[in-house]
Parts: sequence; C-alpha cells; structure tokens
Amino acid sequence: MEDGPVDRSATLEVPFLLGNPCAAREGSLDRERALDRFLAGIERRALRIARLALRNRAEAEDAVQDAMIRLVRRYAGRPEEEWRPLFYRILGNRIIDFQRRERLRRAVTVIWRGSPDDERSADPVESAVDPRGRPDEALEGEELLARIEAVLATLSARQRQAFLLRNFEGLDVAQAAVAMGCSAGSVKTHYFRAMQALEEALPEWKT
Amino acid sequence: MEDMNDRMREIERKSRAAFDASVEAGDAATRARLARARAAALGELRHRPLARPAAWLPVGAAAAALVAAFLWQREEAAALPGIAFEDFDLVAGGEDFDLLVEDADFVAWAADASADGVG
Repeated sequence: MEDGPVDRSATLEVPFLLGNPCAAREGSLDRERALDRFLAGIERRALRIARLALRNRAEAEDAVQDAMIRLVRRYAGRPEEEWRPLFYRILGNRIIDFQRRERLRRAVTVIWRGSPDDERSADPVESAVDPRGRPDEALEGEELLARIEAVLATLSARQRQAFLLRNFEGLDVAQAAVAMGCSAGSVKTHYFRAMQALEEALPEWKT
Repeated sequence: MEDMNDRMREIERKSRAAFDASVEAGDAATRARLARARAAALGELRHRPLARPAAWLPVGAAAAALVAAFLWQREEAAALPGIAFEDFDLVAGGEDFDLLVEDADFVAWAADASADGVG
C-alpha cells in the first residue's frame, strides 16, 4: 500500500553536495539521533494502539517495526514535526494490510474446509468482553480498557482510527487528518461517532 | 447538551488514563523487542547509500513530467464539477453526510469542542 509521496530529500544532504563530507556526516548523525528520540518516544504507545486495532500482539509488533522502517526510509529528511502524523499514516496502512490478509486467510480457510472456521475464537466481537456488563461496577485500568477495546471492535475502521489517534495518541484534528488521509471534518465526524458508541455502551458514564 | 459534552469529556479522560496506564505497564521483553526494531529501522538510515546526482536524473525528470501530465489529464476528465477535493470523503461516506444534516448533537458537540480546541 502506498503511504504517501516518497521523499528522497534525506538522501540529498546539502553539505554532501557542497563537498563537505564531515558536515554531511554530522548532519546525518543529528538526524539519526533525532529519529531515535522520536521513535523511542512513540514506540510503546504505537504498539498499544496497533494491538488495540489488530488484537494480535505479533502482528502489532510487525506493523510497528514496518512503520518505523518505512518512516526512516521515506521521510527521514522531512521536518521533525511531520514525523508523528506520517508515522501513524504508515502504521494505519500496515494495520489495514494485516486486516485484509486476515480476512483473506479466513476466506481461504472456509473455502478449503467447506465449513465455517472452527478456530475463529479470535473473532474480535464474539470474543470480546461484553461492554454492557456489570454497569454498577466502577471501572478501572485494564478492565476499563478491555471494555473500551470491545466497543472499538464494533466500530468502523475509520471511527476506531479516529478515536485511537485523537484520544489515545493525542493527535490534533489536522494531524489526525494527515494520518488518516482524509479531511479534518471527516476526522471530527468519525471521532464523534466513536464517542457516541462508547457513551452508549458504557452506561455507568451516563450517571 | 452540556451534560452530553461533560460525559464525553469524562469518557475521553478516563479512557486516556486507562490507555496511558496500560502503556506504562508494558513488559521488559516487549520493550527490548521495540528497541531492536528501532535499531533495525535506524540501521536503514546508516546503511543506505547517499544519493549522488546521476546521469539518469534528467531522463527520470522527463519521465516523471510525462507521467504527471498523463495523470493530470486523467484527473481532469474524472473530476466532478462543483465538489471540492476535500469533500470527496465526506460525500462518499454517507454516515458523515447524515451526521451533518440530521445530528444536532454533533453540531453542538463540534461547536463546544472547537471552543475548547479539541474535537
């Protein structure tokens, strides 16, 4: 899947072209350090978001690693403030790739076996915790997150993406629009729908 | 309406707190795998060859210009009159359009969120 325009500027270091290899090396090291800081600061949240979207730890780790590599390859030369939305755009595309692959795998399995897949315990909706369960109980920590995850699994991919990027990752509307490849208005509507679904599914928040 | 916006802010706050806590609770093995993944990604930067102006650049630029001209002509032919590009996903996503037309809650929430700098 194409992640956006390919930027080769990282490979065209100006000091190098001016014949100053020392300055080029120093600039390259600065960029590498900046990328290291950026990736170190984002990787754990990105992995958690990928796991919420894919519900599979190994695939989530692969998606995050792929996103890191693609960001470095394609966008290392872009201004640092652009890295975060670009990284999440790449990660979002990788997540979609994994989801398509999983759907295809299931379809092939059904055709091959001639019956519904018996190993579909991983069905995100069916295996999810009931989001309406135990409304009188105060929800904390992991249990709350598990119920949010169950609700998110029932949303459209775009609504889920808008919620994860806006609320969990803290991207502003413009950054989320870049990450999702859509307009700011569309981000707002998807996000609002996700919030509505959460509000309805978690009735204790209505009190 | 005020209640709904308050509830949504509460949902945002609580869910974000739960998410942050789960991120912090990540195990050491996962952190080590992430560090290795990061090192591998940065290795790409270290090992990739620095691009030099090459003889094929003018040829590539000419080819790119031809492709761009072709794509531009195709887009012109396919463009619908009167719809701005950024509205395509709004028009294509029926739920968004419905939301704008029918959902007074959304309008109120969006106004409130804009005032807060969120949403």
